[in-house]
Amino acid sequence: MRAHPPGRSGALKRIALCGALALGLFAHEPLSASAQDLKGGTLKVGILGDMTNYDPQQFSTVNFFLIKNLYDSLIEYSEDGEAIPNLATDWTIADDNTSVAVNLRDDVTFQSGAPFNAEAVAATLEKASDPERGKNVYATTSIIKDWTVDGDTAITINFNGPVPDKQITDLLQFLLPIDPAGIDTVETVPAGTGPFKLKDRIVGQSVTMTKNEDYWREGEPILDELEFTIFSDGSAADAALESGAIDLVYNGSPRSAVRLRDAGFQVVQGPGKLVQVFRINTTKAPFDNEKFRQAFNYLMNRPAILRIGYAGLGEPTALPWVPASPAFNPAYNEEFAYNPEKAKALLAESGLSPEAMSDWKLLAQGNDESLMLISQIVQQSLAEVGIDIELDVRQGAEFIDALLSGDFVAVFGGVGNVQKFPSRVATNSIYRVVNNPVLGDPHPHPAYVEAIERVNSTFGEGVADAYDNLNRVLVESAFGIPTNSYEIGLVVAAPNVDGFTKDIDNLLIGRTLGFKD
Amino acid sequence: MRGGARILRELVRRKGALLSLAFLAVLVLLAVFAVALGFDPVKQNILHSLEAPSRAYWFGTDELGRDILSRVVYGARTSLMTAGGAVVLAGVIGVPMGLVAGFFGGWRDAVLMRAVDVLLALPAILFALALIAVFGRSQGAAMLAVGITGIPGFARIVRAQVLSLRQRDFVVAVEAFGGSSGYSMFRTILPNSWNQILVQVVVLCSIAILLEAALAFLGVGVPPPTPSWGEMLRTGKSYLHEAPYYAILPGLALTLTILSFDTIGRSLTAILENEDAAVTRAEGVAS
Repeated sequence: MRAHPPGRSGALKRIALCGALALGLFAHEPLSASAQDLKGGTLKVGILGDMTNYDPQQFSTVNFFLIKNLYDSLIEYSEDGEAIPNLATDWTIADDNTSVAVNLRDDVTFQSGAPFNAEAVAATLEKASDPERGKNVYATTSIIKDWTVDGDTAITINFNGPVPDKQITDLLQFLLPIDPAGIDTVETVPAGTGPFKLKDRIVGQSVTMTKNEDYWREGEPILDELEFTIFSDGSAADAALESGAIDLVYNGSPRSAVRLRDAGFQVVQGPGKLVQVFRINTTKAPFDNEKFRQAFNYLMNRPAILRIGYAGLGEPTALPWVPASPAFNPAYNEEFAYNPEKAKALLAESGLSPEAMSDWKLLAQGNDESLMLISQIVQQSLAEVGIDIELDVRQGAEFIDALLSGDFVAVFGGVGNVQKFPSRVATNSIYRVVNNPVLGDPHPHPAYVEAIERVNSTFGEGVADAYDNLNRVLVESAFGIPTNSYEIGLVVAAPNVDGFTKDIDNLLIGRTLGFKD
Repeated sequence: MRGGARILRELVRRKGALLSLAFLAVLVLLAVFAVALGFDPVKQNILHSLEAPSRAYWFGTDELGRDILSRVVYGARTSLMTAGGAVVLAGVIGVPMGLVAGFFGGWRDAVLMRAVDVLLALPAILFALALIAVFGRSQGAAMLAVGITGIPGFARIVRAQVLSLRQRDFVVAVEAFGGSSGYSMFRTILPNSWNQILVQVVVLCSIAILLEAALAFLGVGVPPPTPSWGEMLRTGKSYLHEAPYYAILPGLALTLTILSFDTIGRSLTAILENEDAAVTRAEGVAS
């Protein structure tokens, strides 16, 4: 068995557990001097869209500002992807990787006053494992066979088969316990252990949260209130920040962030970026031709796309990973850098006529400025190698429908979960191995399906090879051509705000925020 | 057309109208000869993105390093073509509608004017959005939308002219000498309505250009990379801090174009009103 956070060896398991406990206690330690210097008050935050509901398993981007202010997760990740205790004090993965035993804090209560315990985790697992109620967390629970409550503060989760360590910690990090008494009404009434309680919500206008006086972390939250104001326009939010009407803008545009940074505001970038991917429907001509597709690896002017589309905030990447991912490999960026000559050679190898190469349209979202820009950059790059295409510009719901249903030949779209266990990339529609809405069933690229299965079933020394294999298959099958990582949940704050905690998913963490003198 | 050369002379005598005509003439010439003059609105030079106006780029560059002057010139093409197409469509349908409704009256007048009322009840921008939702983003869809919403203007103005001219002696005389309805409508009444139609053409041009720009500003105009002033305003507003010229220069072109059409329209109206007053006075003296 391997205790987590990990010790130096199996023989030191007990020491490791102690270390884990110590790390668990870390959460109880007094705040650092700088954090202690921060003052409370009301932090006014501008956001650019209303929430959907209070269910933490509705892990949608629009809810990112509230999830970890109303709820806590079992474990957390540090900025570089290391698992650290949270509501779970420690966890021990069985030697055969078929189960994980989790110990929980015994000093936590839900905001209703009910105690947090293993039964609450079990109730949360039950909801998450239900395809009707599990929402965005359901896919992550597919590895779970069952679970057993081993006492008030201990629970063991059993898996369908051996599961890699990282995938297990991803699961624990994704579980945000819900009060069993409030589980049926969680969409409308928050039921978490988080540092803030819901005070008021005016639909479409604002959400106000107030300090949870019984919060389990000593000295947190620092703020007395978190007041979210919804702006329908990013520039209006920026103007409010500049005028001092609000203290922070969450999830604004990268271009605004860069401008405000130059004007003296703070810009906080987290590790949980998305990766922009040129998605290709390989079931449609001319993209059913592999050489033609592979040429696109060299037709993405990634530095230009990043600079123009995302104001340079992010990294060019030829693979669907960000640096926190264990499969991240920067060598591919060099190998598949923008190179029209290599692209031309592959296009010639494809055997397609110039007319056939140009007989498709690039779907673009008209109301997304960045997507419009990067689509035009690609349009120009293609024109330079003799491929003249038009943009098929669609708006809002029409675009989303086309994107999710696969009603396109090629389109740009962001993918998430790229900082976690590599097979989690398969939660994104274009990368799904089954029920793929774009490529259909059976998956037309069996090498990719095998590579994902190999990643899921490889342990120990073979892991690195499995990741390398997956990366090679991704660029060779070329149904998704990543271009760059980009910011989601970008924070732009006034100079007097401090105490930022970077979340692995770039959720807004309000508990450590406060005001400097 | 009644005294076309004289009206033009009158227009040229008015400073505002003269400046407007000159501006529009330059605009049309640039738009027509854009290719020959070497303007390239789609060539990207990303290393030169958002450059301020300079000798190399008189209007600066946009976020993709494209020459804004070239895009303004080609944007004029888009605007003028949309306006031209819309005016032709509205005129071809609206003028005969007004002629028939005014000349025959009765049930034909009732049916046609109710149809016009229905079109008038549709807010132009919403109607245009609905059409674009059905046919997709294209210059044709924008042209169709603007053209259809322009039909009522032509129909009502021509009908009013017909009702006025129908009682005039020269029309009654044609009918008394056995002239057919078609002859009366198209050879007698219509030639005497051209001046009012011309005013409507000018007015609709400015409305069409503004509506096309509004649709592009809302993101449903002609698809990129085809330049459009509205689209440039839309994207340019995101760069107001870094590159104010990006939005201001296309905005200026749009404003000056609409102002020019409006000035010409107002001048034409004033000239025609003066002429009508003179004719009425002359007829009064004759009788």
